[in-house]
Amino acid sequence: METLALQHYLTVGAILFGIGLIGFMTRRNLIVMFLCTELMFQGVAINLIAFGHFWGNFSGQAFTIFVLVIAAAEASLALGLVVLLFRQKNTLDADAWRELKG
Amino acid sequence: MLTMHFITAAATAILNPVVILALCALAGLGTVLMLPGRKETSWAKVGGVLALAVGLIFGALLVRYTASLNQGGMNFYFWVFAAIAVMSAVRVVTHPRPVYSAMYFVLTVLASAGLFILLWAEFMAAALVIIYAGAILVTYVFVIMLAQQSTTGAKPIAGLADYDDVSRKPVVAAAIGFVLMGVILFVIFDKADGIQRPVHPVNIKVDGVYDGSTQQLGEYLFNDQLVNLELAGLILTISMVGAIVITRRRIVSIDGRDDVVETPEPETLHGPATPVNDNPHSIPVYGTKNPRAKAYPET
Repeated sequence: METLALQHYLTVGAILFGIGLIGFMTRRNLIVMFLCTELMFQGVAINLIAFGHFWGNFSGQAFTIFVLVIAAAEASLALGLVVLLFRQKNTLDADAWRELKG
Repeated sequence: MLTMHFITAAATAILNPVVILALCALAGLGTVLMLPGRKETSWAKVGGVLALAVGLIFGALLVRYTASLNQGGMNFYFWVFAAIAVMSAVRVVTHPRPVYSAMYFVLTVLASAGLFILLWAEFMAAALVIIYAGAILVTYVFVIMLAQQSTTGAKPIAGLADYDDVSRKPVVAAAIGFVLMGVILFVIFDKADGIQRPVHPVNIKVDGVYDGSTQQLGEYLFNDQLVNLELAGLILTISMVGAIVITRRRIVSIDGRDDVVETPEPETLHGPATPVNDNPHSIPVYGTKNPRAKAYPET
């Protein structure tokens, strides 16, 4: 029988989100940056499913399905853009696109 | 009731914000040491040991907190899955090679699927493994292998590009990330006590017969969320079309490779197979031998 509280799952989700945030800010490889956003999606998905379970309805799982949909769309578009950027400058360094900053 | 209140106060005393923030600061220091950079590899090991020690201390505090909730025994599988998820997430961020990061991310996804099963969300666990570990990660690995360039040189790890070897402002990022994490954890343990488990879990019928949560989730999705579901499918379709349009390589004719039809070459029509300039009218049309043919009629 399950004996855990909601806080345990929220803790795991928060830790995954924070680690993904750190990775997104520090890594310079574009692909790894997008992997870190997927890590943040994971944390949010754990949070949503835990809330849905503890509130006793299926909204959390439905939201997680939509999060998965957005993650898949984001992955396909972002990787397409990464391939395009790699063709332009022959590097995956995010710092190579410094002139994009405003 | 009074004892319950006392126990809750004791639990919040176990996990007070100062302890959480101190642990987060230590873990941030360990993460900074673990991030790839131009330093000795032994420092990365020191950082790993530090982060692991912080994780173990935090886990022990959580175990004490769980015991103080007075709900019976411990759930062994939750700790295993949570530890695997968090440790492999740290490796995703800190591993200098992108392919290994992707593999550790697969491990994180599998551990999260285990957590979903503990939360009675079997369909979501299966969908997570299929979509993330099966589809998205394969795409990532393909793009890594398409776009990875290997360089050689005097580096701590040979064959790594410069942007994989050196992190960008690791101290600032770790400080921000772990302060945010500490605040979120404090709010979780301070405020989330009011949400308690329902008397009957959603997927157990009143007579005690298990009804799969997949069936109930499907009923919920197609009864209450039908429009949103169709919108999700529309978003997927649009993103697929967009990805194809974005990455379409405009050079379409490699000489003689893709055309087996023996048509006589029209003379006077030889030209570069690449677009002449960025004008879309100069893009060669696929399937013709004539690179000067326009994709669109010129106006």
